[in-house]
Amino acid sequence: MENIETKLREEAKRLLLEKKADVIVGYEKGTLPLTATPCFITTPEEADKLVWNDLCTQNLAKFVHDLITQHKNSQKRVKPEDRKKKVIGVVARGCTTRSLIIHLQERQYGRDEVYIIGVPCTGYMDVKKLKVAVNGADIVEGSIADGKISITTAEGEKSIALKDVLAESCRTCRFNNPIISDTMVGSPVPAMNPDHEYDDVSEFEKKSIEERWTYFTKEMEKCIRCNACRQACPSCYCPTCFVEQSQPQWVGIGEDKTDTQVFQLMRLYHMVGRCVDCGSCVAVCPMGVDLRKFLKKIDKDCWELFGNRAGSSMEDTPPLGKYSENDKEEFIFNP
Amino acid sequence: MAENLASKDWEPKIVAIVCNWCTYAGADLAGISRIQYPPNVRIIRVPCTGRINPFYIVKALQTGADGVLVSGCHPGECHYISGNLVARRKFAALKSFLSYIGMEGDRTMFTWVSASEGDRFAQVIRGVTAKVKALGPATKLKKKLG
Repeated sequence: MENIETKLREEAKRLLLEKKADVIVGYEKGTLPLTATPCFITTPEEADKLVWNDLCTQNLAKFVHDLITQHKNSQKRVKPEDRKKKVIGVVARGCTTRSLIIHLQERQYGRDEVYIIGVPCTGYMDVKKLKVAVNGADIVEGSIADGKISITTAEGEKSIALKDVLAESCRTCRFNNPIISDTMVGSPVPAMNPDHEYDDVSEFEKKSIEERWTYFTKEMEKCIRCNACRQACPSCYCPTCFVEQSQPQWVGIGEDKTDTQVFQLMRLYHMVGRCVDCGSCVAVCPMGVDLRKFLKKIDKDCWELFGNRAGSSMEDTPPLGKYSENDKEEFIFNP
Repeated sequence: MAENLASKDWEPKIVAIVCNWCTYAGADLAGISRIQYPPNVRIIRVPCTGRINPFYIVKALQTGADGVLVSGCHPGECHYISGNLVARRKFAALKSFLSYIGMEGDRTMFTWVSASEGDRFAQVIRGVTAKVKALGPATKLKKKLG
């Protein structure tokens, strides 16, 4: 881990010195113990801020898209011959590169506008799980070494195995290693446990229709419509989201529970062939809505119906933008 | 509304979103040929099934439809060559997801009816109405107004 971190800093320094990238999007140490937060590095001196550990949670592809869009908008008023190109360097693990591939497939920017520093990933820690493990006590200090987390809380010291508090999406991750990269830092790691990735979904599918509906409504009742999931999702980049649209107004803005259900339902549905299971939405949800149970189903359907895994290869095209003559059509009603 | 739900002779409201070139013409033919079919269906004409935003279906269910039927040209016969094939993918994913979260599968129906199949159109409407009637009034996802 340390080794990757030093190499990462060197790489970032080199890129900024050689002017191969104008900004590097990475992670730095967070203000609270046991956290890492996204950061933007623009000078070689700052590169030592970069960290790479099991606390790096957010999918950085979101910031790459934001930066590029912002830059392109700022160049609109500039004469075409004076326009500058900006290259964004990004520290990318498996899921981040999948999101970048989705952006590239959807023609959001060119491949030459991003410089991908690939890092192998062994999963990140779920802050909510950690909070449960320490019974909700305030964490004063903490450190991670050799798969063990040592925590000092107000009530005393505690040691927790990292694998017990690993995020759900990391436990069954299939794409730990970057799919595309310009440089690799560190050597590839084996996949986590991809054979069991749909276990949760298959189990849920077996439940009765009423049980499923009760679970869905129960989860959606928690939702306070803060839109954090949308803000964190790298695939949610529409300039005007359907939530804010007023002509037509797709979802009501009141407290009605069906409006919340419809909002979640449609946001989830928009993830067909676009959700990379990075877990960012789950990590930022302040109410702990079990979004993954539904997102994983979308992923499973996409694989079973269209043979597509979101962002798994550069040659793929979005599954809902194409068709095949012999797509499954058992669902078609025939009187 | 309340009496409506309680009454024995409750009739379902079904929204049929149909394509201009095949199913709408099929419905027209059914009318011209004076084929009888249940009056529970409200037809909305769209240029092509590929034009249907899945939101239309969810929104119809939210605002009080007991069932939604989407019908277009048979695969390979689309006026716009591939609109219905792209739509097929969208609806496959939507229908599967709606049943996953616990909506009754029979509330959202998809079928193909061509312009010459007036008889089939009437059959489809009869079939869908019977299925939705069997389910009873929609409660899930339905917004309570007023």
